[in-house]
Amino acid sequence: MTFTTNSSLPWLILLLPLASAAIITLFTRRSKTLSAAISVGAVLGSFLCSCAVFTKIDISAPEFTWIDIRGTLQVPIGFILDDLSRLMLLVVSGVGSLIHIYSLGYMRDDAGKSRYFAALSLFMFAMLGIVLSNNFVMLFIFWELVGFTSYVLIGHWFERDAAAEAGKKAFITTRIGDFGFMIGILMIWIASGSIVFDDIVAHLSKITSNPTYLTIAALLIFCGAVGKSAQFPLHVWLPDAMEGPTPVSALIHAATMVAAGVYLLVRVGFLIQASQTALLVIAWIGTITALLGALMATQQSDIKRILAYSTISQLGYMVMAVGLTSNEAAMFHLFTHAFFKALLFLAAGSIIVSLHHEQDIWKMGGLSRNLKITFATFFVGALALIGCPPFSGFFSKDAILALAYQQNMSIFVAGLTTALLTAFYVSRAMTVVFLGKPRSDLARAGAESPPVMTGPLIILAALALIGGWPVFAQNFLIVPHEKETVLTVPILALTALIAGSGIAIWLYRNRDHEPLHADLIRHRFYIDEFYQWLIRISQEFLARVAAFIDRWIIDLGAVRGASGGTFGLGSLLRLFQVGNLQAYAFLFGLGIVALIYFTIFR
Amino acid sequence: MLLFLALCPIAAAILILVGSPARFTALVAAILNLIVALALFIEFDRTATGFQFVSSFVVSTDWGIHFAFGVDGLSLLMLLLAALVTAAAIWFTDKIDNYENSFYACLLLISAGAIGAFASIDLFFFYAFHELALIPTFLLIGIWGTGNRVRAAWKITIYLTVGSFVLLIGLILLYQSLPAASRSFDFRALQSVIAGQGIADEAQRHIYLLLLLGFGILISLFPFHSWAPEAYASAPPPAAMLHAGVLKKFGLYGLLRLAIPMLPDGAHYWTQLLVILLLGNIIYIGLVTIAQKQLDWMLGYSSVMHMGYIFLGIASANAIGTTGAATLIFAHGLSIALLFAMAGEVRARTGTLSFNELGGLAKVMPFAGLAFGFAAFAAIGLPGFANFASEIMIFFGAFRHGWEMQGFHLFQIATVFALWGVVISTVYMLRAYRATFMGTMPERWAKVVDLGRGLRIPVAILIAGLISVGFFPQTVVNIITPVIRTYFAANK
Amino acid sequence: MVTLGYYLIVSGILFTIGFAGVMLRRNIIIILMALELMLNAANLSLVAFSRFHVDPTGAPNYNAQVFVFFIITVAAAEVAVGLAIVVALFRLRQTTHVEDITSLKF
Repeated sequence: MTFTTNSSLPWLILLLPLASAAIITLFTRRSKTLSAAISVGAVLGSFLCSCAVFTKIDISAPEFTWIDIRGTLQVPIGFILDDLSRLMLLVVSGVGSLIHIYSLGYMRDDAGKSRYFAALSLFMFAMLGIVLSNNFVMLFIFWELVGFTSYVLIGHWFERDAAAEAGKKAFITTRIGDFGFMIGILMIWIASGSIVFDDIVAHLSKITSNPTYLTIAALLIFCGAVGKSAQFPLHVWLPDAMEGPTPVSALIHAATMVAAGVYLLVRVGFLIQASQTALLVIAWIGTITALLGALMATQQSDIKRILAYSTISQLGYMVMAVGLTSNEAAMFHLFTHAFFKALLFLAAGSIIVSLHHEQDIWKMGGLSRNLKITFATFFVGALALIGCPPFSGFFSKDAILALAYQQNMSIFVAGLTTALLTAFYVSRAMTVVFLGKPRSDLARAGAESPPVMTGPLIILAALALIGGWPVFAQNFLIVPHEKETVLTVPILALTALIAGSGIAIWLYRNRDHEPLHADLIRHRFYIDEFYQWLIRISQEFLARVAAFIDRWIIDLGAVRGASGGTFGLGSLLRLFQVGNLQAYAFLFGLGIVALIYFTIFR
Repeated sequence: MLLFLALCPIAAAILILVGSPARFTALVAAILNLIVALALFIEFDRTATGFQFVSSFVVSTDWGIHFAFGVDGLSLLMLLLAALVTAAAIWFTDKIDNYENSFYACLLLISAGAIGAFASIDLFFFYAFHELALIPTFLLIGIWGTGNRVRAAWKITIYLTVGSFVLLIGLILLYQSLPAASRSFDFRALQSVIAGQGIADEAQRHIYLLLLLGFGILISLFPFHSWAPEAYASAPPPAAMLHAGVLKKFGLYGLLRLAIPMLPDGAHYWTQLLVILLLGNIIYIGLVTIAQKQLDWMLGYSSVMHMGYIFLGIASANAIGTTGAATLIFAHGLSIALLFAMAGEVRARTGTLSFNELGGLAKVMPFAGLAFGFAAFAAIGLPGFANFASEIMIFFGAFRHGWEMQGFHLFQIATVFALWGVVISTVYMLRAYRATFMGTMPERWAKVVDLGRGLRIPVAILIAGLISVGFFPQTVVNIITPVIRTYFAANK
Repeated sequence: MVTLGYYLIVSGILFTIGFAGVMLRRNIIIILMALELMLNAANLSLVAFSRFHVDPTGAPNYNAQVFVFFIITVAAAEVAVGLAIVVALFRLRQTTHVEDITSLKF
């Protein structure tokens, strides 16, 4: 491996955060400010290198052989540096840097600050690894690592039972997705002979020769995305993940990790797009997720949970776009969503810190007076989210809706309804949190956050505004163009937007408590309860049955049986030990007779 | 060098029994062994085939018995594992109140038995060294254990003796089935038999079944596993570390070294049986592990479960799976040793390992929490640790066996189940970690003290082993694949 | 003509009497005497075989007679030890009846 300045950049991007995590864990745990500084420095370094990589058109980096068995299994650690990964590098390291800086303020007084920044650095390492991977196994490695760091960060305040449980739930749920993912990888490897993406593309005909096989493999790989991107039915971990610190929610559970699933789908688009069935399934799962997420967001009263369900819903849009065969639209929405969702979460974090960790929207109110910058930036983010022109969300969501309009009317209707609901719950949140009168003392006393926190907010707000403008976005990705139906879709979308917001503002203005009671939605369609029941069945019932069999049947039968048999035989033989000398002599004589018989006469 | 490796623990044991300071002598011996093992690892010639560092003394020419030691890639890995875990186990030994000398002597004898068995290239001494380790295990569990220790000690000893007995019959039959002229206990002679015409098919099947059952009992193959959880729960932590981490692997090493290469037809014949049994290990025992309410029992059952993965790699009968199996032996040994060590530390401080009573310990024992966390995530196959690299190889190897595009066959289905086993292991391990170290802490643990600074070194040794192979598995693959290649090339 | 067979029959009868004595008598010393009788029956048959088996050169085969000497020596030693044990047992249990000495039962 020779290192020239040109080719070592990708390695630098990847390894700087890892070095930061290692140094903090091993050496600087006592010194919290130093740890924070190292972490922020590392991610800024990665960002600068990512910018450099972005501008260099022709760049390649040396590979490293992780496993090589006689050529039958070759796992390289190598990089893919096409437009897609360069874009993701910028998004991940850029948003990551902003959130690191924000964390300096948010986590200022936290006791576990070193631990937090070490985990955050490790996360950056893993996430950058995902977008740089050139083969399935390497991607899976970083995929799992991202899940691990998410677990650590969700459970950062581990003394709280809720946080510990949430981290566990997140890791296990994503692992279930990874189960399907791995089977898909195995199927692709064995059929095409390689795990490297470029090689698989070259040998694609071997897989497409059997359409059923291809569909199953594609859907199994989709399972991984279902887990990581919180699609239905594996979405249940994301709302609980809000137990983690808000910057974590912003970075991992809004902008980057959950987007990894969408990135995966786009990366292996060559596989998915070869199967119409897979595309249809993916599109529908995305649609259902989008609709469900939006519905569930309308009844939540914790501001972070509203945003969490909103994330689920927006991810549904991205997956829907993938299923509608437009990777460009999916990536465009991922791009804009990263900015405005991170912005919304960070703004929510600003509110939470100002109100001393109060998260219930019904205890807020009238915050527009005191938290001016937070209000303004949140407003920008909200407008982007509901798809109001000229903000970024309008362009990306519009692209997806246009696709649906052209290809699948039922999906379009669902998407439009979701847009209406999105406008509804966002306006609901805005109205209850910022407008009207303060509902508690905390709300009355809340003050604006320090510049280290509002700075990133302003930067993200600017990006949320211009991110969708073609003049800006086309430098980074391919902006999807609508073909015919130029005006129908935007008009319908705007109508939905106005309707949704209007109803919400009218309903929620000047209220003290929740006027709508839709129990089914408020209990999130009882999906969590259903899973609890399933787990209870398998864990308690099955496991107890197995434990019972193990203890009583196998143990008793085989082991006790063997020892009991030995004891029984011993008791039987004991009968010969009578202690009587003459009886022994008699038996002795019998033995001699038998011996003579067997030697002489047989 | 190899002679030193095997005899140093025995010499140290004798010295301790005679009266030298127990902990100091044992520690010195273990660290010396570790250094020698690492030196062997570095000096090992990766391009040569056959055994290296051979030293041989004739014992009986009639029977063909030699007191012979030698290493190739596979045994080198095992020796490294044994040296690492021995050093860690002795370092982790707490203060012993009664018969301290005998305790350390027993530990050293177990280590000597394991190292001797791995380094032996003579069948006779291979078996003999393993038997050497049985009685010290009995003593360690019976005298210095906790809970129902006497019962556990009896159970493990008698069960394993029965297993050794079945194994002995198998080995004798193996010896008898060799052509009379070239009968020898020497592995190199056995290898030339493999290269030649091999053993008759019919005989292979019987012998292989005996070897599989014999070794299987020693490895806690389902359904012969019930000795393991009880024994590990009752054993003192260093004994559990050595047994689960090293001694149990003797059986797997035997399968890889003897049974598979010499009896390929037999192995092929009994593949389906082995797959069913190993799925029992993974799924059935996995479910039982979830039901456990105590950390020591849970760890005992989890070690039984992970044997299933190693068996899957062995059963897959190709270079990928077998290499993965060998690497997982190394990885699992290290991770389970660290897990048992941490569990022992928790029990020493709180007196209990019940999930209902523990909680939030990471607040008062942050280093223990970190170490246990590393070990737990290594055990469930997090990338970056050796276990993941080896499991990847096992899954790929197993999935490949007998694959056709039209449908899934036995091995593909087995791989799917094994992958589900990964989810199962995540459930129980995370649940254990959360119940022990996270959440609200009951008041009575507020005074608990964290691990001493000295203990950071053995923890670092074990984790360093796991991470270095996890990041650079090719180093291990490079020394194992030549060995595997000679075996499979001769037969396929 | 007294042939080999006669000696063997006598030897057999002696052996049987001795064996019956071992099994049926109560007194330990009588049992030891019966044991001696069995040994001497064996001696008799050995000497008879030696006397009546002559190899082609005309010399009798003396191996058996030499063996008889061994047996006599061993018998003597055995009686000495046996009687010592009986004396010790008598001192302990005050009885020479074999039925009373049954502590070695399970």
